[in-house]
Amino acid sequence: MTTSTSTPAPAQNPPTLSTPAVEPRRGFHWPAWGWSLVGVLAVWLCIVAVRPAQPFDPLAQALSLAPFLVLVALGQMLVITLGPGNIDVSVGTVVSMASYVSVGVGAAAGPVVGILAAVGVGLAAGLVSAIAILLLRVPPIIATLATSLIVQSTTLLLADANRASAAAGLRTFVNAKVLGIPVMALLVVVVTAAVAFALARTRFGLSVLAVGQSPRAAERAGIRVWRVTEITYLVSGGLAGLAGGLLAAFISPSTVLGSSYMLDSVAVVVIGGTLISGGRAVPVGAWTGALFFVLLSGLLNLVGWSVGAQNILKGVLVVAVVVVSTAATGTGRSVLARLRDNLSISKKENTHG
Amino acid sequence: MTTASTSTPARTGRGAGSPAPAVRLRAGLAHGSPALLSLVALVVIVALAAAIQPGILSVTGLSLMLMSAIPLAFAAQAQMIIMSVGDIDLGIGNLVGLITVIAATVLATEPLLGLLMLAGVLVVYALLGLIVQKRGVPSIIVTLGMSFVWLGIGLQLLPTPGGATPAWLSAIGSWRSTVVPPPLVFIALAALAGWWITRRSRIGTRMRALGSSAATLDKAGWSLTRTRIAAYVLAAVLILVSGLLLAAQTRSGDINSASNFTLTTIAAVILGGGTFSGGRALPLGTALGAVTLGLISVLLSLVALPSSMQAGAQGLIVLAVLAGRIVTERFSR
Repeated sequence: MTTSTSTPAPAQNPPTLSTPAVEPRRGFHWPAWGWSLVGVLAVWLCIVAVRPAQPFDPLAQALSLAPFLVLVALGQMLVITLGPGNIDVSVGTVVSMASYVSVGVGAAAGPVVGILAAVGVGLAAGLVSAIAILLLRVPPIIATLATSLIVQSTTLLLADANRASAAAGLRTFVNAKVLGIPVMALLVVVVTAAVAFALARTRFGLSVLAVGQSPRAAERAGIRVWRVTEITYLVSGGLAGLAGGLLAAFISPSTVLGSSYMLDSVAVVVIGGTLISGGRAVPVGAWTGALFFVLLSGLLNLVGWSVGAQNILKGVLVVAVVVVSTAATGTGRSVLARLRDNLSISKKENTHG
Repeated sequence: MTTASTSTPARTGRGAGSPAPAVRLRAGLAHGSPALLSLVALVVIVALAAAIQPGILSVTGLSLMLMSAIPLAFAAQAQMIIMSVGDIDLGIGNLVGLITVIAATVLATEPLLGLLMLAGVLVVYALLGLIVQKRGVPSIIVTLGMSFVWLGIGLQLLPTPGGATPAWLSAIGSWRSTVVPPPLVFIALAALAGWWITRRSRIGTRMRALGSSAATLDKAGWSLTRTRIAAYVLAAVLILVSGLLLAAQTRSGDINSASNFTLTTIAAVILGGGTFSGGRALPLGTALGAVTLGLISVLLSLVALPSSMQAGAQGLIVLAVLAGRIVTERFSR
């Protein structure tokens, strides 16, 4: 029930899975990604107001930059959905590492193999995180931090070893456009749809949501929590690897290529309406959040703001969006708020253990 | 207060008045096992370093070796306070960087304005605590947003590393002693401050109560909002100290000088036996964790590991130390 972002009234389902105190809402239900879409439109209108010549140019530009961020954010979204404490802070370094792998392997065995290898190293990084979390029982933020340090070293070694650049074929593919829309954007839309479908219809996706809502209940219901956790971190690593492999052809490999993706991916996920406390994923929100971020930095570059000022605004917006969206949808509530509701209305269940 | 309720010996001992020393030891081991691990790791690291470079066992050697751990020790105590109320601060790294920038620019040229800016940080942290408590927004995302703000302000003030710290601050950084390594004094002060705030003072008890059982604290008649604001402001004070001490060492400002602090401080708290769930604050363990993490990089540079491989080695060592927790937990059961 928690994924149906496009249908108008998801709250009409029996509210068994969420908190007991949910009142049925009638009529139009504001989607979780609604505020970020409003943000996208507002920023776009601002850009058009500043430079009215070609109103659709900025959107097209954003569509060519955003897909990479969306790929990373989708993986981050799945991880965050697993519940409190789950976060993948290794995605940034994985993007950088994968960019070198994609180019290095691509030069020897062709670009397709290069991309596959990039996804492969991403999966490997995800596996390291999963092993640390599940076998060594290290908290995810520390486990993925350790992974990112290992990945960082690997990246530096790879950077010393190869000086190749991306194949021309891959370059044209990444920059190709169909009817003015970048092929990359279409590709990532397909990936987003696949993730949305997986979350709404497949056993794995529903398990992710269930674990995020209550790991204990999910375990009692027969879901193998460790398996779901493992696959989720693998997917996150794999998607970051894919993004890095493609980004190598769009920009060029660099040791700091992905460094901004770590914080940005988390910010995008949350702006997009995914619950930071887990249990609700909003795949569409990864798009609206990423477009918002990319358009915003486009606008600020246009009006000549310095990097410092851009960062200040970005930060204030992240905080403001979270505060506003919490008030507007009443969904971004903390574990604490839910606990308080549970205690005051009925002492039935405590959703987080 | 901070019982993790994993050790059965502690539970059996509770009925019979004061538990037997052996039981208490085992319970303490189960409790503090991560901190103990951190201590073991620390001893191993110092021993290895001493084997490679015997000179470090002198006062000067220890001073040089522990120097880099001073700012981290204070920042880690701040993170511990935030984590004791059940929150996480992802803005610490950039904020410490910003404070070095303020110290090297405004504080040196216009001391009054500089002090106002530092006070402003405390006000912002009070507001963060208020927002997190009143609006129920997750602290991770609010502090993540603030990390962009700190970075932005830092870049505005000082786009490239530089500046000069005021004389009194540099004097603190260049204080040398022949009796005791100065860094040890500072790190002990950090642990003492953390201990006094979280374990000794009344507000510390309330902060841990907020982390472990907010509803109980509420029913006992305390203000949840005031408690959280107090925790955030006290943490901000320690972050200020951390930034000023870092600036005192480097004598310049650099917004990126502490960007790894965000995650390292969390790692230090976890290494020291802390948890993400709140309600727990182990100042001594946290200090040990911070020193261990600081020393790992010193050791790695001593063994002449190529610089590109140092990060990876650091990651593996952190994992190994935390993996040791499983062993000690089994042993203590």
